[in-house]
Amino acid sequence: MKGGPVKRWARPRSSIAPPKPTRPRGIRLRTWSTAYAFVLPVLGLTVLFSVVPLVMVIRRSLYKGNIFDTNLKFAGLDNYRAVFATGGGHSLLVTLIYTVGFVAVCMIAGIAVALLLDLPLPGLGAVRALFIIPLVVPAVATAFIWFALFQPQTGLFNRVLTAVDLPQVTLSDPTIAVLAIISFGAWQFFGEVVILYLAALKTLPRDVVEAAVVDGSNAWQRLRYIRLPLLRPQTALIAVISTLTGLQAFTQIFVLTNGGPNGATQTALYYVYNQAFGLGAGGSVGNADAMAVILFVISILVTVAQVVVVGRASRAVV
Amino acid sequence: MHISWPVRVLVYFAVAIAAFAVLFPLLWMLLSAFKSQADIINPDAPIFPTHWHWSNIRDAWTAAPFGRFFINTAIFSAATTVGQVITGMIAGYAFAMFTFPGRRILFYGVLSGLMIPFPVVIVPVVELLADFGWIDSYQGLIVPNLASALGCFLYRQFFLSAPVDLAESARLDGASEWRIFWSIYRPLAQPMTAALTTIVFLQNWNNFLFPLVVTSKESLMLISQGLTIFQGQLLGTQYNLLMAGSLIAVVPVLIVAMFAQRRVVAGLMIGATR
Repeated sequence: MKGGPVKRWARPRSSIAPPKPTRPRGIRLRTWSTAYAFVLPVLGLTVLFSVVPLVMVIRRSLYKGNIFDTNLKFAGLDNYRAVFATGGGHSLLVTLIYTVGFVAVCMIAGIAVALLLDLPLPGLGAVRALFIIPLVVPAVATAFIWFALFQPQTGLFNRVLTAVDLPQVTLSDPTIAVLAIISFGAWQFFGEVVILYLAALKTLPRDVVEAAVVDGSNAWQRLRYIRLPLLRPQTALIAVISTLTGLQAFTQIFVLTNGGPNGATQTALYYVYNQAFGLGAGGSVGNADAMAVILFVISILVTVAQVVVVGRASRAVV
Repeated sequence: MHISWPVRVLVYFAVAIAAFAVLFPLLWMLLSAFKSQADIINPDAPIFPTHWHWSNIRDAWTAAPFGRFFINTAIFSAATTVGQVITGMIAGYAFAMFTFPGRRILFYGVLSGLMIPFPVVIVPVVELLADFGWIDSYQGLIVPNLASALGCFLYRQFFLSAPVDLAESARLDGASEWRIFWSIYRPLAQPMTAALTTIVFLQNWNNFLFPLVVTSKESLMLISQGLTIFQGQLLGTQYNLLMAGSLIAVVPVLIVAMFAQRRVVAGLMIGATR
């Protein structure tokens, strides 16, 4: 009862916290018109710009034709076969490598920095602001910085490598190109993971952690056996947010590599973009549609995995 | 909690390394933006500019219509942010406060519909906009971005825990439904609206993929897309001007974000605070 009803509505309820049962609402509106009028804008826009296009993309992935062609011909799974014949399989592999690397770096760096910033030491609160800078400034502009950093001879990376007598790196090397887009993605996004973990750390029940201190545990034991397990639901959610973000990486690929060299950084999304918009007449909208459907299925699977994992993790904690 | 001084030193050291990792690309941009072309292409030139070429900023500014890009970005961000916040708020309010046929199914429909990733539907959306004749137009840029799943979901969560008796007594006093929403419940959500508006505005300001596929006219480009045109014009050689252009794009956002720091952080962890 502490806090009373006033406090209860003053706090936004979180999506990261365990779900609470919604209490039944007393209002029965006799005229439903207000409710429908309030819901209509979001509903209309959703149907027009998400649901209808999704139906179009699924349907058309089964047809052959050009982007403004009116006589589409049913083609079965031909477009899907064409996707794999035009480097789509490799794009899915690139997507997997990119996403795994991106999520791993973001999660590890994110929780490490969050744990440090969570310590009750003077000055750490002010540093927090630094980590949000890459998130809020235009990614195209910061991707240009990566472009400059990787310049032969004069870029910072190559200056350092030359100074220690190591060979130069360039974005035309497939491995370096993949590392470049992963490092940019992680640099740009990991501040979000820091912020989310900082918020999650604040929700840990203080009495449990303090009881462990009284019981003589050291800091590592408290982290390993108490704090990290308690954070598991949030970790699952943050991992899914990061994964969905990773699947949609686009800006740095556009700026740094344009999918090259030789398709080494062409993710599934970049494949869709290239087939539909990037290659001019060389691309195929049917291929783009088929790959978009594959991308959609992957996103759905990740989201379903979230529901399952978060649910299991919250039960395990309770 | 007591922390011994060797541990403190280690903590500050680790935080300093992390902060440096975040900052050094931005510092590199800052230094390169003021170098001469000779210093840029000379690998033996010092890392700090031998002479600070402030005129690089002016040269970059005149090499591309940055003024136009900024105006377009401001129009786009303001319109889509106001739209997303208002449509999300009224829909979330309705889903939380009213009982009406189809409420649950419409809510989950909206939620799953809006969670379809934009890249998945990018091709048909561009086709739809082409059918409307909206390619290369402000309405083509803005209208598809007027609704957001996040806003609708968050406001529903928020209003579910808002007191209902306020509405009931206002209703007895004869207030209209719109007035109850606007005068009583909208102000309650003010802190969340502030955080949501800030983060949504920044996201829209930095949006790249959508404007890229909907516009190709320079007069309609947003700042991000404008920068890529700028890159092409420089033929990939004048990194000092490229960095000066990036600086022009980064600094205004940085200043705003620093002043609204609390709101930005609140926006980033929206839905993660308890």
